[in-house]
Amino acid sequence: MFEANIRKPLVTGGKTLTDVSNDICRPIENKPTKLWWLGFSISFLLLMVFVGTIGWTTWEGIGTWGVNKSVMWGWDITNFVFWVGIGHAGTLISAILLLFRQKWRMSINRSAEAMTIFAVICAAMFPLFHMGRVWLGYWPLPLPNAFGSLWVNFNSPLLWDVFAISTYFSVSLLFWYLGLIPDIATVRDRATSKARKFWYGFFAMGWNGSARNWHRYEVVALILAGVSTPLVLSVHTIVSMDFATSVIPGWHTTIFPPYFVAGAIFSGFGMVLTLLVIARSVLNLQDYITVEHLEAMTKVVMLTGSMVGLAYLTEFFIAFYSGVEYEQYAFRNRAFGPYWWAYWTMMSCNLLAPQVFWFKWARTTPWFIFIMSIIVNIGMWFERFVIIVTSLHRDYLPSSWVMYSATWVEVGIFLGTMGLFFTAFFLFSKFLPVVNMAEIKSILKSRE
Amino acid sequence: MGHHIITEIENEKFEFTKRSRTIVGAIFVIGLILSIIGVVQLKGDNGAESHDTDATEQHDAEEHALNSETPASFASLQHGEEGTHEAPEHDAHAAEEHAADADHGDAGHGGGSWLTRLWSNILMNSYYFMLFAIAALFFIAVNYAANAGWATLVKRVAEAITSYLPVAFLTIVVVIALGHGELYHWIHYFKEGYAAGDPGYDKIMESKAWFLNNGWFFAGVPIIMIIWILFRTKLRNLSLKEDENGGTDYFRKSIRFSAGFIVFFAFSFSILSWLVMMSLDAHWFSTIYSVYNFAIAFVTGLTVICLFTLYLKSKGYMSAVSDEVVHDLGKFMFAFSIFWAYIFIAQYLLIWYANLPEEVIYYQMRTSDTFRPLFRTNIIMSFFLPFLILMMRNAKRNPKVLMLAGVIILVGHWIDLYLMVMPATVGDSASIGLLEIGMTMTFAGFFIYWVLNNLSKKALYPMNHPYLLESVNHDVGV
Repeated sequence: MFEANIRKPLVTGGKTLTDVSNDICRPIENKPTKLWWLGFSISFLLLMVFVGTIGWTTWEGIGTWGVNKSVMWGWDITNFVFWVGIGHAGTLISAILLLFRQKWRMSINRSAEAMTIFAVICAAMFPLFHMGRVWLGYWPLPLPNAFGSLWVNFNSPLLWDVFAISTYFSVSLLFWYLGLIPDIATVRDRATSKARKFWYGFFAMGWNGSARNWHRYEVVALILAGVSTPLVLSVHTIVSMDFATSVIPGWHTTIFPPYFVAGAIFSGFGMVLTLLVIARSVLNLQDYITVEHLEAMTKVVMLTGSMVGLAYLTEFFIAFYSGVEYEQYAFRNRAFGPYWWAYWTMMSCNLLAPQVFWFKWARTTPWFIFIMSIIVNIGMWFERFVIIVTSLHRDYLPSSWVMYSATWVEVGIFLGTMGLFFTAFFLFSKFLPVVNMAEIKSILKSRE
Repeated sequence: MGHHIITEIENEKFEFTKRSRTIVGAIFVIGLILSIIGVVQLKGDNGAESHDTDATEQHDAEEHALNSETPASFASLQHGEEGTHEAPEHDAHAAEEHAADADHGDAGHGGGSWLTRLWSNILMNSYYFMLFAIAALFFIAVNYAANAGWATLVKRVAEAITSYLPVAFLTIVVVIALGHGELYHWIHYFKEGYAAGDPGYDKIMESKAWFLNNGWFFAGVPIIMIIWILFRTKLRNLSLKEDENGGTDYFRKSIRFSAGFIVFFAFSFSILSWLVMMSLDAHWFSTIYSVYNFAIAFVTGLTVICLFTLYLKSKGYMSAVSDEVVHDLGKFMFAFSIFWAYIFIAQYLLIWYANLPEEVIYYQMRTSDTFRPLFRTNIIMSFFLPFLILMMRNAKRNPKVLMLAGVIILVGHWIDLYLMVMPATVGDSASIGLLEIGMTMTFAGFFIYWVLNNLSKKALYPMNHPYLLESVNHDVGV
């Protein structure tokens, strides 16, 4: 494809095809570094926190959580939506950016998709364990009553969630694995030990790089890309409907679907940046995940952050325009009530902070981008907290107004999912190629 | 792949021939004549053109008397649908006020003087054609901001469409300056100046005075549009200077102005859509409304760009625009038809599901016997037909099929706008007659003439645009 000469190369350092294989396979073929062990150990400890707190919840019951009369599972739902949101960048990058022919996605799609899968697993923990009796976790499926469950309520957006997220998870997993097959075969072909040859050979499913293989691969990849495009929108649309179909002031508002999707992409890119700024320096991938890539991602962060900000302002405007006093109270309470600090954290992290990316320096300085990505993560966690807690803690009945706080078990579970997430990501970076070698090689060729 | 790379193209210049001028002019003139006949007819019919229900007829005289002083919308909103009367809290105020109208409100508002209907048509078309122009500007800006190269060849077409912005400004200003009394019942309400406790005092309306006021309406709307025009002029001048002098300076400057425009557009377009369109139903509100307006704007704007490109190609111009570029324009039409449907369902489903009286009234009015067929047609023409037609790859590469889909999209969203305006202003006596068809032809004739005339003034390709050759050699890949 013809490209104008003002476009900068996506892979720097004059890499050849062999360089790509060597650079990307190095972490897999060598012993992990000290930094890797350090990161992995911390994550693993946190994972144990998760196992402990979730075990205690299962043993003792949901009473160990801060569920109270009007906020209910506030912390749990906040974390659920937080993780589902993070899971959005992967599919956006692999499906939507594919449709928009953004080639810079090739260096980052593998790790973003992995992140998606781990984030969705983390998210799934919350609805699963909030049921209290996790061994009956199959009850939300539409099974005949003989299984002990009741027939599910198809009118409920919570059930739509079950379908949306399980579909999203399956398609993302398939898409990710499909893309991995040629690369796993590369690792297999370079393998020096028998064990590695066997296991990578097993997961490469007999890939031999023939034209026939590639043809089928491309057909399936295109179909999966087509299938996952609506999924990018559908998952968070349905998560937003969990709230918006209700008649709770602050929840029932028509802008929720697109606004949640924008927020999810925003938080997803925030997390991708957190991971990749670290990964590119720890794994020496600066020539593959270049500053150009980071810059493109910061632009997406700025765009989606501003879209979310516009939605916040629109909501506020319409609340006061509507003349509905409950709606007005909900928003006044958000901004100036007892949870004002949460609201203003959200506003400054999501709307104001990303505006620094108008400056080239901010877009191209990795350590600064890392700090910003953490701010984005914090902001998006608070967004969910604000939406869920401030709308519920003061409902129509002033006698049941409460202040909400989480217990140590809940905090432990949230930190624990961080452990689950990062442990999975560290293992991924050790055992699988973090950059899609096959795709990167295809853009090297066109640049010769 | 496998094409040889084109490194040079000849520029072209569009000639707006006398024959074409006559044809487009004829559309305008015929439209004008039809509109006048339509108005005369309506006036003769005493403002009740469609006597579908007997109830309407009975109350005709009475209503007409009322309409001469109160816009029909007022009555229709307050006492519009049966659903309103079930509404516990919000419409309690509605039932109390204007007690005088209440007795005939139930009978199905026949309302809508010919003048209201005339202004509604002018408003609707002013807004519709303004959407094309502003969406074309947005398209140019987005391509700059996203560093997209593929659409460079059709940039001049989009620029020519944006040249309509000053005209759109004039038509919108005329509507709000002269037609507001017939269209916006809140203006009428505030003119009366009710005090608390008066019959007709409206608590909800009073609470909106901070936004629904003359300042925002008569100053805000024109100021927003003037700033749009300034952005447009700047981007156009940069593009023309780039033609003369070359270099990438103009290109980089354009990126900056585009980013600035996008930010301003996001806020200003929301405000404009609330003031000009949402306030027609002054009691009603929806947070997604501005996004919904944007969805209409972008899909129709893309369609208009595509249709003009296809027209030019059919006349032998724009030979450098390959099927690949047209294919991608088709993809955009397809994608944003789906986007519109997504935004539509987000608004409709959530309002339907929650079933709050102050919100559902909007859809109750639009699914009444008068409007239900159009409501359905809108969904079919704005989503299902373009979706099915444009799904196939070959459809997007076949000019005839693409044109067909384009016309369907444009008519679909015309109905979309009709449903946004008419139920709020004219009410159940609305129908699509000579006036509606004529007025749209008038606007369309003028718009096409203006755009083609502008197009004939400058070269068709921005020759020094750094991405020009990317667009020439564009390849959709699959």
